[in-house]
Amino acid sequence: MSDQDNKAVDRAEISGMLAKKAPEMKHILNYCLHCSLCAESCFLYMSHDGDPEYMPSYKVINSLGKLYKKKGNVDREFLEGIKGMVWNNCVLCHRCYCPIGIDIPRMIDFTRSICRSQGVFPELDEGESWL
Amino acid sequence: MDIYGLVRGPLVWVSLIVFVLGMVYQAQQFLSSTRVREVVLPPAALLGGGDFPRPLSLADISNSFFGIHPVITVVTTIFHVFLIMLPIFVLGHNVLFEESFGFSLFVFPEMVADVLTLVVIAGGFFFILRRLLVRRVRAITTFYDYFIVAVVVAPFVTGYIATHQLLNYETFLIFHILLGELMLIVIPFTKLKHGLLFFLYRYQMNYEHCLGAGSRVWSYNQAK
Repeated sequence: MSDQDNKAVDRAEISGMLAKKAPEMKHILNYCLHCSLCAESCFLYMSHDGDPEYMPSYKVINSLGKLYKKKGNVDREFLEGIKGMVWNNCVLCHRCYCPIGIDIPRMIDFTRSICRSQGVFPELDEGESWL
Repeated sequence: MDIYGLVRGPLVWVSLIVFVLGMVYQAQQFLSSTRVREVVLPPAALLGGGDFPRPLSLADISNSFFGIHPVITVVTTIFHVFLIMLPIFVLGHNVLFEESFGFSLFVFPEMVADVLTLVVIAGGFFFILRRLLVRRVRAITTFYDYFIVAVVVAPFVTGYIATHQLLNYETFLIFHILLGELMLIVIPFTKLKHGLLFFLYRYQMNYEHCLGAGSRVWSYNQAK
């Protein structure tokens, strides 16, 4: 376990990042109809036998959605919990397609930025061990 | 003023005003959060010109939502079209238009209106069943999603009951009007606002799958 793993997260920084993009992100999160029609556009969803955890909307709702719900009041355990969701379950290929026009990769990208700001990202030599 | 006079008079105006102002507010929020992109290239220029738009091929259709989910595409389309058309062209509402404003529109024959009402109600049940039974939809469904469907379908259920006097006519007529007003009031402040935002997001926002000019971008992260 590295020093980074034990370091407390900077909640003020996370809240600041969330607030900066709130006009877009909160608006879009509240606009998502939870229709699940984005699923088939994700090749990871298709190649994991339709596992809902790979559905683009699932990834956004359970990562960025929860960050907004908690207003950034999260701990390192939470960020480590969504790490696989945003770094491994999505490759940001930008092929996910929302019928009502939500730019899903933009939200995953933003969630990655928040994780990265707190040192939560996979190391190059980490392999699959962090999943 | 009795309760019927209240719900078909002042409350109608209150709900209509809240609905219109709410939608204007949502449009204003969209415009204030976004700005016009500096450079807008028409799709033909992005693709090198010449071959866009091209005729639809079978592959386009099989790769579209219709090709992947024919049932949900057809049900959703019919549901939305009937949902909007029915309240405007149903006989009872046009009688009220005539009484209040001195004009009325084309009206559906009552048999047609009945069928359309039942189709909308069936569509609502379809969405609820889909949320309950399909694993991936269930994985992201919350109570709020059921509430949204209920808010939309309830005026149609009560309207049908009142029209056919299946239960107490006066009570269900008042329920019908109140639930219709409730729907109008909540549209701008819930996910139901997608009736407006769909057109703004799909056609105005610049992103990978934009259907229109994509002339707007989010405004907060770059200087105006």
